[in-house]
Amino acid sequence: MTKLLEVNNLHTRFKVRNGYLHAVNGVSFSLDKGEMLGVVGESGCGKSVSMMSLIRLLPPAAQITEGEVRIDGEDITHASVSRVNSIRGSKVGMIFQDPMTSLNPFMKIGDQLVEGIVYHKKITKAEALKQAAKYLKMVGISNAEHRLTEYPHQLSGGMRQRVMIAMALLNEPSLVIADEPTTALDVTIQAQIVELVKDLREKLNMSIIWITHDLSLLAGMVDRIMVMYGGYVVEEAVLDDIYNSPLHPYTIGLLKSIPSLKTEAGSRLPSIPGAPPNLFTVPTGCPFAPRCEHKIDRCQTEVPALAAVPGSSGDRPHRVACWVDMRGRGVEQ
Amino acid sequence: MTDQAIPLQQEEKQFSLAKDAFIRLIANRLAIVGMVLVAFLFFVAIFGPYLTPYDFLSQDLMARNQAPSWQHWFGTDDLGRDIMSRVIYGSRTAVIVGFSTVSFSLVIGLFMGALGGYFGGKVDAFVVWLIDITMSIPSLLLVIVINVSLKPPLVNWMDAQFLATGNEFYRNTIWVDFVLVFGSLALIKWPKAARIIRGQILSIRNKNYVLAAEALGVPTSKIVRRYVIPNAIGPIIVYISAALGEAMVLESSFSFLGVGVRPPIPSWGNMISDGLRIWQLYPHVLAAPAAVLAIVTIAFSFLGDGLNDALNPRQWK
Repeated sequence: MTKLLEVNNLHTRFKVRNGYLHAVNGVSFSLDKGEMLGVVGESGCGKSVSMMSLIRLLPPAAQITEGEVRIDGEDITHASVSRVNSIRGSKVGMIFQDPMTSLNPFMKIGDQLVEGIVYHKKITKAEALKQAAKYLKMVGISNAEHRLTEYPHQLSGGMRQRVMIAMALLNEPSLVIADEPTTALDVTIQAQIVELVKDLREKLNMSIIWITHDLSLLAGMVDRIMVMYGGYVVEEAVLDDIYNSPLHPYTIGLLKSIPSLKTEAGSRLPSIPGAPPNLFTVPTGCPFAPRCEHKIDRCQTEVPALAAVPGSSGDRPHRVACWVDMRGRGVEQ
Repeated sequence: MTDQAIPLQQEEKQFSLAKDAFIRLIANRLAIVGMVLVAFLFFVAIFGPYLTPYDFLSQDLMARNQAPSWQHWFGTDDLGRDIMSRVIYGSRTAVIVGFSTVSFSLVIGLFMGALGGYFGGKVDAFVVWLIDITMSIPSLLLVIVINVSLKPPLVNWMDAQFLATGNEFYRNTIWVDFVLVFGSLALIKWPKAARIIRGQILSIRNKNYVLAAEALGVPTSKIVRRYVIPNAIGPIIVYISAALGEAMVLESSFSFLGVGVRPPIPSWGNMISDGLRIWQLYPHVLAAPAAVLAIVTIAFSFLGDGLNDALNPRQWK
């Protein structure tokens, strides 16, 4: 198994008015070729920032302070700007949350689609447009040649997201980062996009990182799930383990708050009390401790390390960052 | 099918936005009216000397205050000068002042606005502070102060130069008027341009499509050229066409008040001012320059509106 992506102890922070906002606090994970990883967490838990840090696509106020990212063994965190530019798009593609605003309203779909590929592959524009039409067909857009000459506002939201997907795939990247690609779409279109990505992944053998706050969306789609909280990875395991034997109180809380058909009508949906921590100070203990119902004294003073669960073995152990042994105390679902 | 469709696309690609915008512009009737009138104004301003039936300075004291006739289409003024010739020369004044003012203010505004928008922080705060201060100065007062304080020494200096060198260029102090008018108008108008450009840069820099292009590895120069500028250009073009009309009106009002272009050089403003004394008896003396000024202002507004609609693909039906 070759590792496509390796992330070690990544820290990213933002400069704000009085000090720093610590968005990512030591994230480590790796990804195999062709693997699909789901990244889950509430808003503001650092999932987008940590994935954007992978290709250094950060606003000027943000800064990677520690750690390293390796794509195909190549160090990204210390690479030159031009090198990073050539990796963006060619090796790593991105799909964004809001397809309505992610296309330049002043450029035709075709011109925009081929922008990256003309730059990366040094092919002629006619050639590139031919490619683009092929990919538009692949993502399920009919009449692709005609669509290339249209402007973004002439397409619906679902279509624009398909265009964004085609744009990310056009360079045949080995890794695609999808940042909540279905959040802005309605449920039926959401399902279509999920099916499309699953399908394309099989066809093109890409690795995918799918960022979402919706745990239920990932079922039947990803291989592994990584749960983030307060800029930390709190739990990471293969799909079935997360659903069947979650070990972090936060993961358990997230799973409990998914509505199901068995939920009695009129009853309240369980939720996690409290709000995510503010990240202006690095917490001295477990970031989830203030909201945790299982916390012990140690949780307040020491940050739990992400460690393999005793008993799980193999290449991909079930890792969790919690001082309390939650085995057997999980969900009843 | 693919093979047929792609070459077609290929042909269209050059300046596709400009071409689409132009098609859209000429479909707008009011914009056409504005465009034709503005084009006519420029034509008259450029070829004025070849079009005028009379010299704009030649007086005919036997034919004072004549009503419009075949000899004098717009009539004559109180010194017997042909009003149409003067209006035509006035268009030169207006166009020269309009263009120089707008280009000066645009250059200053572009520089200041881009400075603030790109660097942000303290630089931006300083630019905004400067904009606020400039905008708080009453423009008329500023022009009068400049006229009173800068003009006499400048004219004296020119006279001294003429006496010393004998160079004909220094003899004509009309240019002092022009330079002072451009200068003060540009000083008044740059904050508006700076504000527009700063706002555009600030908002476009944070747009998702810029991020998406960055994620594709599109080089920065290309992002600026193909993403930032086209999205910023609409309001700026509209500003230019509105500012041209506005500058001409301002020039006329300054000339009307006697702080702009001075007689005998004709300006619509000082012609209106002259006409004001006798308009109850000879309304045409006032009517011709006033009507031309009004029509030109409206023409620029129509053109500006049309350009705004044409340059924005989201408004295409």
